[in-house]
Amino acid sequence: MIKFLLKRMLWMVLTMWVVFTISFFLMWTVSPEGALLSERQLPEAIKQNLERYYHLDQPLTYRYFIVLWEYLHLNPGPSMKLIDKSILEILREGLPISISLGVLGLSFALILGFASGIISALRRQTVIDVTFRSIATLGIAIPNFVLAGFAIIIFVFQLKLFPAAGWGRPIDLVLPSLCLAAPFAAYISRLTRTGMLEVLGQDYIRTAYAKGLMPTTVVLKHAFRGAILPVVSYLGPATAGILTGSLVLERIFFIPGMGSHFIEAVLQKDHPVSLAIVMVYTFLLFTMNTLVDLSYGLIDPRVKLDK
Amino acid sequence: MAEEIIMADAAEHENKPGKVLLDVRDLAVEFRTEDGNFKAVRGVDFELRAGETLGIVGESGSGKSVTNLAMLGLIPQPPGKITSGSARYDGLDLLRMSDKQLSEIRGNRIAMIFQDPMTTLNPFLTIDEQLTEVTRKHLGLSYKDALDRAIEMLEKVGIPGANRRVFNYPHEFSGGMRQRVVIAMALSCDPDILIADEPTTALDVTIQAQILELMQKLQDEHGTAIVMITHDLGVIANMANDVLVMYAGRKVEQAKVNDLFTDPRHPYTLGLLNSIPRIDEQVGAELSPVAGQPPDMSQTIQGCAFYPRCPYRIDECLQVDPPLVQVGTGTMHACIRDVTTLDPPTPK
Ligand SMILES: Nc1ncnc2c1ncn2[C@@H]1O[C@H](COP(=O)(O)OP(=O)(O)OP(=O)(O)O)[C@@H](O)[C@H]1O
Ligand SMILES: [Mg+2]
Repeated sequence: MIKFLLKRMLWMVLTMWVVFTISFFLMWTVSPEGALLSERQLPEAIKQNLERYYHLDQPLTYRYFIVLWEYLHLNPGPSMKLIDKSILEILREGLPISISLGVLGLSFALILGFASGIISALRRQTVIDVTFRSIATLGIAIPNFVLAGFAIIIFVFQLKLFPAAGWGRPIDLVLPSLCLAAPFAAYISRLTRTGMLEVLGQDYIRTAYAKGLMPTTVVLKHAFRGAILPVVSYLGPATAGILTGSLVLERIFFIPGMGSHFIEAVLQKDHPVSLAIVMVYTFLLFTMNTLVDLSYGLIDPRVKLDK
Repeated sequence: MAEEIIMADAAEHENKPGKVLLDVRDLAVEFRTEDGNFKAVRGVDFELRAGETLGIVGESGSGKSVTNLAMLGLIPQPPGKITSGSARYDGLDLLRMSDKQLSEIRGNRIAMIFQDPMTTLNPFLTIDEQLTEVTRKHLGLSYKDALDRAIEMLEKVGIPGANRRVFNYPHEFSGGMRQRVVIAMALSCDPDILIADEPTTALDVTIQAQILELMQKLQDEHGTAIVMITHDLGVIANMANDVLVMYAGRKVEQAKVNDLFTDPRHPYTLGLLNSIPRIDEQVGAELSPVAGQPPDMSQTIQGCAFYPRCPYRIDECLQVDPPLVQVGTGTMHACIRDVTTLDPPTPK
């Protein structure tokens, strides 16, 4: 266990370094001037400050080591665009918002996916099953942003159930995270249904019934764990999907999270901010994947982590 | 505390040896699949008496498992369907009970052991969880009492270090040990009836003997009636009082164990017996198939189902599905010919 975690840590550091290096050189080679080149002119004093901070007059390799050194001290420096904010401040504001959105989205995806998948499996080949499966197929096929468009038209403008857009109250998160969750809920529903059907055919389920347990106990206690194993392995890719999905959805719903900042930064060629957010995403993904592997070991006692 | 409850429960269900515990009549089961209506069981009767062992033999697909699973409502429905029959236990028909009533009986009054100990235990749950849930549900024990009971049962079936091992997962046990755990689980509510569906087929020979001995011992102690489904005539010779021979979903012969071996009446039974090298070579005498294939049970069978493979067949056999007839010794068989008066068929 400890060995497994240490190994993972090592891999994470290595991966983050590689990602850092590639992103850094890619960004600065593609547009060497960064945000300094943009149409909106910066005040001369600030421009000089930034040039001095990022050593823009120095060769790229030299700057790479300087920035790497600062990153090792968890100091990603100032933004090139948002003059009055350091990147850390931007992250501190954006990250909690994005994480709430992501966690809520993932929770919705899991709850909706598990529930509909289990019901589908237990009522297979009935109207309920067919309905759920059709919805799931749609959910997988329709891109997030199209769904979000429909959702806004229906729930915000027609039914007036949710506020249009914006940020501040918890209710503002509901519609975006539902839209974010939809394709993942659909996929999880499918995986759960298949997993459930497979497990329900196992001998140990027959044993559970032969012991006189009621169907609810059999399904929730004896079948559930085995049935969700495929879902657990899907959670890694799902997290990646949720991250990219939130980029788009934050834009559509005007949520000031990391996704919005990231898109802004990329468009404005604010390389330091882009780089910092890429690093945060890498870190989140890696952590999530490790958690997934850990929970795999917790759910299935036959899985050995130290391998 | 646990002890008291179990004692009270046992006293209430006191079964005098010889009392009919289970009375199955005309049980028929179909599987309705895309390939047609598969008649897996076609009218089976039997009685099970307290303290006795009923052996069921027959080749693969003859309906041994389905007969017993159907009784406890354990066949998947659909595609399975019980099309006729009754199974009276304790004055009530198991086939007409509500799910709730049936679940009170399963694992409590009638327990079942399956063939493959590697797959019958839940790999995700520890043994204590799987053992205690039965006694908590049926005997109303607290977890602590149930755990004591579980350890006691594991010791009884010969698991060394039971008080530690009870917290292990199934994959930490060997096949033989797992089957012991399964037996402990099945017997932990002290059932009236134990249905064992090929309990030793998946185990190697020495372990087989130990498990059978264990079942015999537990039966002697508790007077449990056993239905022993097997391919192995050696197991039958060792364990059974009565034997039921199944062929193509029907009972073709039923006899006291000695009569079956010394005075078999159905050509199929004869075929089974001839396939053993020596009758006294008991445990592990695998039953090699009688020449030919069993009939396709999705088709209506004309006359005797064994006709195509029968060395004693005559044209009359195609007219009717032979009814069961009883002979002097009490043996029942479904053959219109008297094989005892016929010469053994000449090998071709
Ligand atoms: N779930 C099912 N769906 C369709 N057919 C089934 C199902 N279960 C059993 N059957 C059919 O019913 C017939 C009887 O099966 P059963 O399992 O009772 O045979 P058996 O005598 O126990 O054989 P074995 O010795 O191989 O265990 C088989 O031919 C099988 O194909
Ligand atoms: Mg069977």
